[in-house]
Amino acid sequence: MKQYPRLSEQLLWRKLPNGLTVCIAPRPGFQKKLAYFVTDYGAIHTGYRLDGQTLRAPDGVAHFLEHKMFDLPRGEVSAEFAALGAYPNAFTSYDITAYYFSCTENFQRSLRLLLEFVSTPWFTEQSVAKEQGIIGQEIDMTADNADSRVFENLMAAMYEKHPIRTPILGTRESLAQITPQVLTQCHRAFYRPENMILCVVGDVDAAFVLEEAAKLPAGQGAVEKLPFGEEALTCVRSYVEQAMEIAMPTFQLGFKCAPTGKGEDAIRREIIGDLAAEALFGESSGLYTRMYEEGLIDSSFGGGFESVDGMSMLTASGDSDHPLQVRDAILAQVPVLLEQGLREEDLLRMKRSSLGRRIRDLDSFDSVCFRLCAYHFSGFDYFRFPELYEQITAGDVLDFLRENIRPERCCLSVIKPVKED
Amino acid sequence: MTEPLTLFPGITLRCFPDHRFKHACLSIGLVRPMCREEAALNALLPAVLLRGCRAYPDMRAITLKLDDLYGAGIGTLVRRVGSCQTTGLYASFIEDRFAMAGDRILEPLTAMLGQLLLEPVAENGAFSRDFVESEKKNLIATIEAQLNDKRAYAQEQLLKHMCKGDSYGLPRLGTREDVQAITPESLYAHYRSLLATSRIDICYVGSAPAGQVAALVQPLFAGLSREDLAQTAQLPLCTAEPAELTETMQVNQGKLCMGFTTPITLQAGDHAAMRVMNVVLGGGMTSKLFVNIREKNSLCYSIGSSYHSTRGLLTVSAGIDSHMDGAVRRQILEQLDACCRGDITPQELTAAKEALRTGLQGVMDSPGAIENYFATGAISGLELTPAQEQQALEQVTVERVAAAAKTVKLHTVFFLKGVSQ
Repeated sequence: MKQYPRLSEQLLWRKLPNGLTVCIAPRPGFQKKLAYFVTDYGAIHTGYRLDGQTLRAPDGVAHFLEHKMFDLPRGEVSAEFAALGAYPNAFTSYDITAYYFSCTENFQRSLRLLLEFVSTPWFTEQSVAKEQGIIGQEIDMTADNADSRVFENLMAAMYEKHPIRTPILGTRESLAQITPQVLTQCHRAFYRPENMILCVVGDVDAAFVLEEAAKLPAGQGAVEKLPFGEEALTCVRSYVEQAMEIAMPTFQLGFKCAPTGKGEDAIRREIIGDLAAEALFGESSGLYTRMYEEGLIDSSFGGGFESVDGMSMLTASGDSDHPLQVRDAILAQVPVLLEQGLREEDLLRMKRSSLGRRIRDLDSFDSVCFRLCAYHFSGFDYFRFPELYEQITAGDVLDFLRENIRPERCCLSVIKPVKED
Repeated sequence: MTEPLTLFPGITLRCFPDHRFKHACLSIGLVRPMCREEAALNALLPAVLLRGCRAYPDMRAITLKLDDLYGAGIGTLVRRVGSCQTTGLYASFIEDRFAMAGDRILEPLTAMLGQLLLEPVAENGAFSRDFVESEKKNLIATIEAQLNDKRAYAQEQLLKHMCKGDSYGLPRLGTREDVQAITPESLYAHYRSLLATSRIDICYVGSAPAGQVAALVQPLFAGLSREDLAQTAQLPLCTAEPAELTETMQVNQGKLCMGFTTPITLQAGDHAAMRVMNVVLGGGMTSKLFVNIREKNSLCYSIGSSYHSTRGLLTVSAGIDSHMDGAVRRQILEQLDACCRGDITPQELTAAKEALRTGLQGVMDSPGAIENYFATGAISGLELTPAQEQQALEQVTVERVAAAAKTVKLHTVFFLKGVSQ
């Protein structure tokens, strides 16, 4: 067991002979158990090489695969989980796909079921056709959702090559190209133990977890993800807008940053990015108060640093009748901050706040599982975060702002209400 | 839970000492009857209180202090429980033991919560005009943003028509017009009357002993002058004439909402059987509605039912292609009919009970869930523990589920019809 005394935590980390990484966070005294089985494969990983052959999967395939994994030759697995009192679910993000269940009883049988269904590809022409209908509906639903639209429009306007410019769900056209063969190939390439992590939070028998995980067969053949292509740091477009049936305009602002890479430096950059966002427009900043009092923003306003494999950005979003003014106010504040500098006590206060929020998040099983898995794929042991805060200086934060919060890095996406006749 | 402590007449502290978590929570709720005259005032009040108090006169001063308390959060508490509602403040904060040496959080945070609730910025019998006007704008934006969530909108329209003469038909946050009519004077007068005439429920979940919490909380209320308290008993439901309603909107996906009544409530009848029946019918991925209408027939994207246990209402809501409403309606009624006939497999019954059990067991695993469960229970009148409630659910049979289903009568249908753009 690895100890993390500052968090009163311990973790069991193991790399098994089949290549799978297992991480267990014990939670004595809790009824709930949560297991995440995650692959380092998401919506952006459409290009890859398998056995020396270069392949390009249709957009939306990772998400489609996630839906279809729940099918086994004997039927759909959700009912089996439900009979055990366990809740299975899954999500596909831009860079990972996660399958998980939570339960209070029958953990062992539920874990076996999770490992089984995620490692069993079972796709038929009929079930793929049916899923094309269901996901088509999901695409329509997202098309009605202003929060999704504002983000997807922003990504398409900011990025020229990085696949984040395409929605996770793909399009009705790309869905039509998905076949059982495509799914089987992607499953074989990316659902191999060496590309995955099993993370369990709860009061469980660790030996049982390791034993079951070790039974998974190792992957066959060589696989590699194709690079995304060189992306300029300037945005393709600086403004994009769409009209929808909503009550109030909503916006999202993005500042393109260099990819964070992997390892400790990546999360350090992420923390610096978050502190920079806090210093610039966080709730305790002068700019936030001014914009709130002038009615430019409301309590929906917020932002921070976000990174996905191959890209990162600082973003701010919310509802506002005057999104252009919000953008201009943020840009104008940077030289002011650089001129004023950042006082040591202010930095300490922001660190306290940020650290406290991360600690509080550890009470959420989902948050613990998600972070341990996502940071593992970024090459960092998440529970080491408290020590990173100590090294960060005011200079780091100001340098980040100077480098990244500039007009040419900036793009604004706005959703406006449809005009009444 | 330790025994509820009566600090003053009508002011009760409920403590749940627990050492398992990294954060604790403390809530103060003023309990009111839900009514048209108060709903908007009660929704607006906590937002205005969070704009400033004597010690922390503006949002920035509040946020700076909260940052220093390790990112503690203080938010508004506006809840509807049956025919009552709660207005007040909710705080969550990390446990003292995770702060740096010498720093304390619970004590200064409790004091701050008291200052925000009891020492607002006010003069000449009115709140600050700026605070009130900008929070009115925010509240109206929140109310109108409901338009963005079409499913919630359709459900609200259904309840509005079905419960026309009942407080349950009122929007939880009041109407736009009610909010607009509020003045700094009227809100302040309401605030004074709330402090004098409301039952006050305080709830703490965390590692501090009840005695310590009581010693911190009691002095806050020592100077409060109190009068006769407003009634907070649960009232019987009063429904309007049944109706068939359709509204057209420019959306891709239609929303069908069906409202049913039942005499079974928390206070009367076989409540446990009705809860099981609701999950068998439309709770989650193993329910009859989901399996038959979505999975087998692909007639909808989303479908589910809710049992409003304090009022004796059952609602079914589905996201559908707009021309499918007839077919989906028929099938919903067919599935309800199957419940009435007791056409329920042992697997369906077990899955429903397991789902309910897992939900109840999970309650004790987070401070927020513990607070919500017991604070809500104290108002609904059902002061059971999750374990007691679970025991009652275990004993439910198919016959009892069928008997509960037979009491369910269709009352009103609301269809939000999509027209393509």
